[in-house]
Amino acid sequence: MEPIAEIASYVGYVYPNETVIPWTVMIVIYPYLTGLVAGAFTMSSLYQVFGMERFKPVAHLSLLTSLCCMLIVPLPLLLHLGHPERAANPMITPHTTSAFAVFGYMASFYLILLVLENWFVFRPYIIQQAQQRKGVMGLFFRVLTLGSYDLSAKAMAADKKWIMALAITGIPGAHGLHGYVGFVFGSLKSREWWSSDLMPPIFLFSAIISGIALLVVIYVISCRLRKVPVDMDCLKGMSYALWGFMMFALLLEGVEFASLMYRAREGIEIIKEYVSGPLIVPFWTMQIGIGSVIPLLLLTFMAWRGTRGTALYNGLVLSAMLVLFSVLMMRWNVVIGGQEIAKTGKGLLTYHAEVIGRESLLTSAILLVAPFVLLWGAVRLFPPWVETEVHAPEHA
Amino acid sequence: MTGSATVPDTDSTSKDSVQELSQEQLSQEQLQRRSVLRFFGAAALGCGAAAAAATAVSSQAATAIDKPEIPGYDWNQHHWGYGIDATRCIGCLRCVEACKIENNVQRDAHHFRTWVERYVYLEGEERPHIDSQADPVNIAASGSEKEYRFANRYKDAKVDKAFFVPKMCNHCTHPACVQVCPVGATYKTEDGVVLIDHKMCIGCQYCVQACPYGARFFDDRLQATNKCTWCYHRITKGLLPACVEVCPVSARVFGDLKDKQSPISKFLRDNRTHVLRPESGNAPNCYYVGIDKEVS
Amino acid sequence: MPKHIVRLLLVMVVAAVLAYAAKQFFTPKSFYQFGHYRGDSVAEIASDKPNFGTPKACEKCHAEKYAQWAKGVHNQLDKGKVVKCEVCHGPSSSRDVKGPFDNVATGKEHPQGLKMSIPADSVKLCTLCHEQMPGRPAEQRQVDVAGHAGTQQCTGCHNAHSPRDFGAVTAVSRKGDATKGKALAADCAACHGDTGFGKGLPGPNLAGQKEGYLAAALKGYKKAGGRSNDMMTGMVASMSDTDMENLAAYYASLSCQSARDGDKNAIAAGKALAARCATCHGAAGISSQPAWPNLAGQASDHFQAALKGYRDGSRKNGMMEKVAKELSDKDGANLAAYYADAKCK
Repeated sequence: MEPIAEIASYVGYVYPNETVIPWTVMIVIYPYLTGLVAGAFTMSSLYQVFGMERFKPVAHLSLLTSLCCMLIVPLPLLLHLGHPERAANPMITPHTTSAFAVFGYMASFYLILLVLENWFVFRPYIIQQAQQRKGVMGLFFRVLTLGSYDLSAKAMAADKKWIMALAITGIPGAHGLHGYVGFVFGSLKSREWWSSDLMPPIFLFSAIISGIALLVVIYVISCRLRKVPVDMDCLKGMSYALWGFMMFALLLEGVEFASLMYRAREGIEIIKEYVSGPLIVPFWTMQIGIGSVIPLLLLTFMAWRGTRGTALYNGLVLSAMLVLFSVLMMRWNVVIGGQEIAKTGKGLLTYHAEVIGRESLLTSAILLVAPFVLLWGAVRLFPPWVETEVHAPEHA
Repeated sequence: MTGSATVPDTDSTSKDSVQELSQEQLSQEQLQRRSVLRFFGAAALGCGAAAAAATAVSSQAATAIDKPEIPGYDWNQHHWGYGIDATRCIGCLRCVEACKIENNVQRDAHHFRTWVERYVYLEGEERPHIDSQADPVNIAASGSEKEYRFANRYKDAKVDKAFFVPKMCNHCTHPACVQVCPVGATYKTEDGVVLIDHKMCIGCQYCVQACPYGARFFDDRLQATNKCTWCYHRITKGLLPACVEVCPVSARVFGDLKDKQSPISKFLRDNRTHVLRPESGNAPNCYYVGIDKEVS
Repeated sequence: MPKHIVRLLLVMVVAAVLAYAAKQFFTPKSFYQFGHYRGDSVAEIASDKPNFGTPKACEKCHAEKYAQWAKGVHNQLDKGKVVKCEVCHGPSSSRDVKGPFDNVATGKEHPQGLKMSIPADSVKLCTLCHEQMPGRPAEQRQVDVAGHAGTQQCTGCHNAHSPRDFGAVTAVSRKGDATKGKALAADCAACHGDTGFGKGLPGPNLAGQKEGYLAAALKGYKKAGGRSNDMMTGMVASMSDTDMENLAAYYASLSCQSARDGDKNAIAAGKALAARCATCHGAAGISSQPAWPNLAGQASDHFQAALKGYRDGSRKNGMMEKVAKELSDKDGANLAAYYADAKCK
């Protein structure tokens, strides 16, 4: 019998079947990616729906980012399933009492929504390219036009209505898509670490901050690569957005943890043991200390002191990268952490992730990079850039 | 609208072209409209026909069959139940081995349809030491992962109280695992058994997470989940589940709750029984006698 | 509505229709029959072939063993303590089973294509239930293994089918043919005497000894890791199992005579010590079990050599090793005198 890679070591007493951890690092990557999808979409809707002009430079970039992440989202799940060839079964015979059955329809609906919104937004560009380009790319764009080159006022007005409708629908859509992941964990009564009504909003708000942080990083990198100056007003806006949502996200997580400790139900002893032992590095140090406290302090400082220019730029980019890291650690600590606390309430397991394999650290790394490879291709096909002269590079 | 600066200004041209091409466009549009309407009509008819056919088939099926085709067995006549007398269990683990052989379960220390836990209270300690046959110390005592034996690790210790508790799937009345399955691969039969359809299971392991008792596991060979079935293939033939058949001390009791004289009915009548984790709301159907506060 | 919107809606409607058609097509026919699952699955699961049977199936061919078992303590229906056949012998199906159920040297396939086994290591098997362990209820008969019989196999003393019945025959060899044995015994007379006993013979007295014990001893000389004696190993080299059984039958049929010339004091001392031997070797040195040898009438020097052999490990027997260690040389001599003097058959 070959050793199964995911055998977990343990202390205390665990059920014999628990020594194989069911949900691996793939199920850490999956909510991280849907979180980026939801967060990036929220970023774009700040402009599209709420009309915040300062976010115009990143609005369409956010939309494309959301789409590229969404295309990779099914992959960690397919790699995890025992029978990926049956992955359509939840859509063929959906068991409506199960949150997972919702996923197939929700994800398809949302993917279609993203594709449509991107299509409407880039339609004038598509039409222009269809008329100008030759060969395969010409054909590609011509197909995308659906045979219509109509850019009349009537058509554009219709498009605008559709974009608005899609953007508005997309907000609950994106949040439903990612929120249901939180619901899956929060609604399970078998694990005390997961079981909480606050799980969906916690997942959602950490998704939003990860999306904003992602856009900060992508926007800054894209400006660097294109050798254009960064729109500091936009950047400052994102800094405020990140700061505001972060405070709320941390508040929710704090309340959840506090209620867990305060309620002190059966199973609390092993949770305390876990939190004060194995969790010191991944949770307290990495997720909270490095990933949350430092960016929060930094952003607060910058907001209070009205930091601008290069200092704001550096501070924000650093905060964004730390936030991206902390949100990944949050997914890890919830998913893996929950499974490291045995259902017996009397033991703790240790998950050993494979380095190479189907559900391994290597595949995780590839899946995390893949959306950005797609994005790199996407921005070349559908450039989302806006003139930067419209906004002054720096406030006087 | 956004986009690059080179998007042609279509507003001015379109008005003219609308005027000039109006006649052609109009007839073209008419044609288009008709073809569109025709298509929609055909699509609607197609949908309607498909829907009608589907409902016809399913309603036929619903009225004709009320039980699966199992020779000599009518699931409407039975309601199975299971009892465990932990005061009798000697921890010989014959049940664990028999189950693995009967049901072709992986012969290793990480996949069990049933298992036995040992609780040992040592003198002066409040909390018991708990282990199962899967503990590395016990695997070492048996010599291999394919054989099962409890190591006599407490023979020289001062033991206040000790006992064995067999565990397995509880075939709950409101199974959390059935609720969370996204495809309907796991279900509760009319005669009270929770089964897994390995041809439908996609292997997402949501059910493994949902079970509070740790009864389910992922079967690498089937790439689907697996668990105790109360030996459905045996009980529908009038046999006992393998674990009940081999238990030498009658610690495991099985029978038809519809039969008032069956072993399980007597067991429930003669004893004050407990179930595991009643607060879960799952309403388990394995009834225990002789467990104590630490057993969950 | 603008053209492109119309076409977009068209594409979406077509896609929806195709998706719905696919959903209907791919839904298994028996789904929703009884609930939200594939109805055919129930019958599929129920149609698996069982592996374990019931003891009644074994009774058909193994009536004698079944009868022993049915009357014995491994079948106490009133107490609910029943050790069924397949618990020790493995399932009656044709699937291969390893583990405590390792086939014994005969390796013969069970007729009807089954693959049930005779457990080879009874210590490993019986202690699964009978090793004394905290947690086992008092009603369960338990022993401290090391103190009970050392490393001796359980089946050395117990009949696995009826463990408290020491009169029943355990799995010993078949009865031999004494007449055929007599023909072979010519070669043995030089050491063991023409009549199977005598004074000052190189080999121990064999006359009237238990047939089962003799057969097991001969086979032990042939088996690697069994009894070791160059002379005897050479003697049995050319013998078949049947030869050995016949020889055993022959010597068992002979009558022996005790020496009757021992020291009275020694005999008295030996008698006192012999009380502890009585459980297995009988009160007067005639044992009740075919596997346990008679000691009555055995030559004194051979008796003492045997005890010494058990003490220094050259003769292997878990039970006897323990016993021999408790006896001094003087004790051995006294016992030897007593048994040499004891009336033998």
